[in-house]
Parts: sequence; C-alpha cells; structure tokens
Amino acid sequence: MGEGMPKKPKAREVMKKLTREYYREAARAHETGRFIAYTTAISPVEVFYAHDVIPIYPENHSVMCLTGRMMPRLSLEIEKKGYTSHLCAYARSDLGYRELQESPIGGIPDPDFLLACNAQCFTLTKWFQVLSRKYGIPVFVFDTPQYIRKGEVRKNIIAYVERQLTELIEDLEELTGRAFDYDRLAEVMGYSAEASKLYREFLDLAAIKPSPISIFDALIHMAIIVYLRGTPEAVDYYRLLIDEIKAEKISKGIGVIPHERFRLYWENLPIWFKFKDHFEFLAAHDAVILTSLYAHAWSYDFDVSHSIRTLAENYSSVFSNVELEERADRAVELFRRYSLNGNIMFMNRSCKAVTFGVLDIRDLITEETGIPALVFESDMGDPRFYSEAQIRTRIEAYLETLDRMGVG
Amino acid sequence: MNRQVLEELLSIARDPYPKLLDWKRGKGIKVIGSTLADVPEELIHAAGMLPITILGTNKPILRANTHLPDNACSQARSDLELVLTYQGDVFDGYVLPQVDDTTQHLSDIWRRNVPWDYFESYLLPRQIDRPSAREWLRQETLRLKGSLEMFVGEEITGEKLWSSIDLYNQSRGYLRRLYELKKRHPRFISNRELYDLIKSSMWWPKEEHNRIVESFISGIEHTDLPTQTDEDIRVVLSGIVWEPPEIMDILDESGLEVVGDDLCVGWRYIATDIHMDGDPVETLVDRHFRKGPFTPIYDKGNRIFENLFNLVTENGARAVIYLHIKFNESQDFDLPDLVHTMEGEGIPILVVETEYQTTHLAGTRTRIQAFKEALVGR
Repeated sequence: MGEGMPKKPKAREVMKKLTREYYREAARAHETGRFIAYTTAISPVEVFYAHDVIPIYPENHSVMCLTGRMMPRLSLEIEKKGYTSHLCAYARSDLGYRELQESPIGGIPDPDFLLACNAQCFTLTKWFQVLSRKYGIPVFVFDTPQYIRKGEVRKNIIAYVERQLTELIEDLEELTGRAFDYDRLAEVMGYSAEASKLYREFLDLAAIKPSPISIFDALIHMAIIVYLRGTPEAVDYYRLLIDEIKAEKISKGIGVIPHERFRLYWENLPIWFKFKDHFEFLAAHDAVILTSLYAHAWSYDFDVSHSIRTLAENYSSVFSNVELEERADRAVELFRRYSLNGNIMFMNRSCKAVTFGVLDIRDLITEETGIPALVFESDMGDPRFYSEAQIRTRIEAYLETLDRMGVG
Repeated sequence: MNRQVLEELLSIARDPYPKLLDWKRGKGIKVIGSTLADVPEELIHAAGMLPITILGTNKPILRANTHLPDNACSQARSDLELVLTYQGDVFDGYVLPQVDDTTQHLSDIWRRNVPWDYFESYLLPRQIDRPSAREWLRQETLRLKGSLEMFVGEEITGEKLWSSIDLYNQSRGYLRRLYELKKRHPRFISNRELYDLIKSSMWWPKEEHNRIVESFISGIEHTDLPTQTDEDIRVVLSGIVWEPPEIMDILDESGLEVVGDDLCVGWRYIATDIHMDGDPVETLVDRHFRKGPFTPIYDKGNRIFENLFNLVTENGARAVIYLHIKFNESQDFDLPDLVHTMEGEGIPILVVETEYQTTHLAGTRTRIQAFKEALVGR
C-alpha cells in the first residue's frame, strides 16, 4: 500500500458500520413509508429485498441480548406472564424485550408482516404467532416439509414450496400495494448467490492447517450473511474479510490459536453468552472448534437463472430439515474436508429442532469417523441451565481421551 | 340400558394390546400404528390392514431416553417406549405424521430404531390457511396410498376406499350420538366411560366397535337418561390427550360434567365426517381442512381460541380445564394468551400440567376439586 493511501478498513469495523446503518434504516422505515417484515434467519429473504421491504430478524436481536447477558432477566419477565423457561431462549428473550423494552441496540422496530419458515424450526412459527396476536398482523407460515430422500417426494416438496413463494409474493403485493418486480428479484438473487459463495469460502478457510479462523470467527461474521444477503454490501464484505484473513494470517502461516492439536467439530448453535470463554479455554488445551453445520446453514448454492426454484430448493434443504442420516453425512463431510479429529455435541435445551435426534446422529458420525463424541446438555442463552465447572471438567476429560487415543 | 355390552370396549380402553394380539393372530391381518394426529386411517383400512393410534404408555420408560433429550414431551417419549419395549409385537408397520420438530425427529428415530416391515412418514401441511396446503396434502395422500399399495401388493380401489370411509363415518356417527346424549343428560354415562369409548375406537376394529356401540345405543330407554340439574357443573376440556387416564376419574369424582372438548383423543377424532361424493381421495383430503383446530397446525387468526370460546358458549359450560402436556412446545406458546383470552371473556380456566408416567395425582385432584368449589361459589 502506497504512502498516503487511505487504510483499508478492517472487516470488523465494516461489520459494525453495516449493522449500525441497517438498524438505523430500519428504525426510520415507518417514517419513510417502508414496511418491516420480521423473518427467520433461514427464509427466502431475497423476496423482501426485491420488494423493498426491510427484513428484521428477532433472532439476531435476541443473540445480541444473550451475548449482552440480559438473560435470565428478560426471561423472568415473561415467565411472570405464564411462559415457561423450557421455551427457546431466543423467543423468551424477544418476548421479554417486548415487555421491558430493554435492548443492547435501543430496540428493533415493530413489524408490519411476519414470515416464519419452519425448515429452521417449528418454534419460530409458534413464537411469531404470539407476535401476530400482539400486533394484530398476519403471520405467513412458510411450510417446508421434511426434505426426505424417498422417491419423488422432493419434487412434490419443491412444487409446494414454489407455490408458497408465489403466495408470499401476492401477500407482499397486497401489503405494499405495489407489483412485484421479478427482474429485481434476479438482481437480488445474484448478490445472494455471490455472498453465499464467498461466505462458504470464508468458512472453508478453516480447512487450512493451522486454521486461521475458528467457529467463533464464523459466528461473529455470519451476521452479515444472515441479514444482508441479497445486497451488494454483503458481497463486498466477505471479499474484504477473506482478503484480510489471507493477508494477516494465511500468508504468514499464523493459526487462530498458538498450538493447534485438536481440530473440533461443534454440533448445534453456540452457547452465546460463553463462546469467548470457550474459545480461550479450548485454546489453552491446544484445541479449537473449526466448524459446524449450523455455521454452514447460510452457505447456499443458488441458481440465479431459476429464482423461485432455487429459493425453494435452498430453503427446504437446510441441515435442520433433512433426515438424520443426511445430516450426519453432511457433518461427516465436514470432518473430512476440515481434517477434524474431535466432536463436541451440545444438546441445546432451547432448540428442539437441532437437538432432537443428536443422540442418533452421534452414533452415525462416530460409526463413520471412528471419533468419539462428547455430548453435554445446556442452554444457548440461559445461564440458569449452564454449569461451568461441569462442562469444563467434561471437556477436559474428553480432550484427555483424545490424547490417550493419540489424536492430533 | 344394557351397560354390560360396553364392558368389552371399556376393558380395551384400559389395555388394548393383549386383545389386539389375540385378534391379530386369529385374523392374520396386519396392524399399522400411527402417532397423533390426522393420519387417514380410512386409507390404511382400505388397504386391508388395521390402523391403530399409538397413545403412549404409562409403564416405566426404559429405552426411549437413550434417543430423546430430557425436554422431549412425554407423549413422544412414551410413544417410542411403547414400541421399543412393550408392544412392538403388535405392529407390522407405521405411518408417522409430522406436524412439528418433535414429530419430525421422532419419525427418523423411530424409523432407525424400531423394527418394522413397513414405514412411512406422512408430511402434513403445517399451515392450512392457503390453497397450496390442499394441493400438498393431496400429493402426500396419494403418495401414502401408493406406498400402502406397494406394501400389500394390491390396489386400493375406489370401491374399497368408499367402503372404509363409510365404516369410519358410521363409527364417528355413533360416538357423536353418545356424546350428544351425554351432553343433554349428564351422568348418563361417566366422563371416563365416554372418553374410554372414543379411545377404544382408536384401538379396535371399527366393524366390531360399531356393532357394540350401536347395540348399546339402541338399548337406551328414556328412563335411563337423567335430566340436567343446576348442580351439574358443565366444563369444556381443552388440549390434545387426557393422560394419565385417572384425570378423567378425578373429573367424575369432582362432579364435573364434560360437555365439549377439542382433544385429539376426543371430539376432534369423531367430529368430522368425510363427504360421500366426488373422488374418494379428494374427499379424504377435504376432511382435513374441515377438522377442528390442532395446536401445531397454523390456521388463519386465532382459530384455537375462537373454537374454544364457542365450545364453552354453545354448550353452556361454566369453565375450561386445559390439559397441558409438559414440554409440549406448541401448547407452551399458546397458553399465556389462551388463559388471558378466556379470563378476559369471564370464563374461568384451570391449566392442569400432565405427563404420562405420572403416578401421584393427589395434587391434581386437589386443584381440580378446589376449582370446582370455586365454580360452585360463583
């Protein structure tokens, strides 16, 4: 870089700026005559961007509340209203925020439209129904039957989901009073396709030895693919991020931890309020978590020449909506591609969609890879269900087992 | 009134499996089990098999915990336990419906760990408020039909399907007559007896079940029917199942008369006949969209709430008793608003948390009795 040239901004700074702008714009939406749609992290958000409707993800906001350690305070507030502490921590955090109006970012705007895609989970469809009653607005349940491998059924599923995309577009036209622009959708899809490809490229940097990134980098940087896919900013962002990692880490052979020995898979969402601690604790034991199917949930493969079809296919086939065997196959593929040698499987009380079936998936993965798994139960957002000493002891014991097996 | 004729069905409701095994050995007919709810039994029957609704077990959980986490609801856990440990021998195959995350994963776990000769998932639409759902269910029902035909090696002809539809409509009709009689004449049979009769119809060949219920109904004399009194406390039951079954005994002991319900093992099972015209598969699909609401399946607006409110007002009930299966996520999300809505309408509601495997019902009994006393005092 020549002297006097402006310094390239760091990806983290760009992310902060994009996030700030995104929420600022959303906050002004109603003043500027735009509509707000709440949607789920895995959903055909491209349709909203193409129709100039601002998508807001209550889950993302909940993550900020959870990492900001606002639980169990938010949960306790809605437990008083009769909601149980068994529910998803995202939902509890969101409903608690709506009671207390406490938020690390000053809140999110109220919705005009609700879209709940159940490929991700059933929970969101029920949570959004609560919001639907609260705000007196409709919820569109975007129904993606389990993407089973049997016979011709996938063809039928795609036809069903395509029909629903048409219904969704009709609903949006009715909401806004404007005709939907399919050319604009193609343009948005182009950005989504490119950003998804780059996002996967970023995740795949963890295949390098020593790995320049860990799952914790993925968890931080995934925010942009979740809420800005479909925009040119997301494409530029992942380019910048990859270049930065290449320049700062890969070209110098620097790993994300000083001594990399145990390259681990993580099953499930993270324990949001602990993930930095977990990174440091593992690093002290020469261990690093490199990937998970969860992080890969946004590495889509869109065929932009068939917008509606490719949306239907990508949003039906997400890891949480396939049969256990296929999910295990996808995990095993990550074990191979990333040369993983350990497996931590978190049973997340908050997330039935990802957690039920984990015990069977563990058996399938172990059978295929020969790598034993550590399975433990806790909650992704509620410290009342997290036992620090127990989890640390179990991780240490697991790493000792791997050590005895001569792993790494 | 010949109450004795009902004894056979009431004993089936207490434990159907020994009798089912005997029946099966005698007939050589295959038995297909399905979990709740909404599998088109008529289709399985038309394929020459006996469809049975699997309603868990109250026996100890021994093996299901190695597959399901602690916060799985006891319905899923005890359904799986029933076939893993206790009564797998009854079933030749399964059709498992999917309506939420639990049933979706349960289907996979079941397919992998339970022995079977036949297995099919039935992917119900989880929204029924848009036209796409109807076409999807039609496709899925045709898929199930084709799969059943492959298994039995015979076509399910229109004639066979109409005959099964007619049989199942008759069953619903008889049970509705009993239900209506009990509504008008409280205590004519107990709550437990009525609901045991409905339950036993999910567990026994309809041909035989219809014969017995029809014979009972035809023997009812005018003098068998007590008149309503002001002392009858009429209530509506809401939820999915009534387990453990002693809950129904507690309602009887407490003098609470059930006059309406939205339970899957109750009115919802018998309420909706299939129209006997047009194409039999189409009419089978059509019935699904006319059924009462079921909490995991999204329908426009607040149909569950409205339906419950209507059940109370139309039947002159004084309160709602809501049976909440612990860890049932769908109910968990409904409940606070449901309670708020009912209370806002001036309808007292008691939420009873239930679980299979519950042996100590003293607390439940006390709460139900206290609720009843409060109703008397209103």
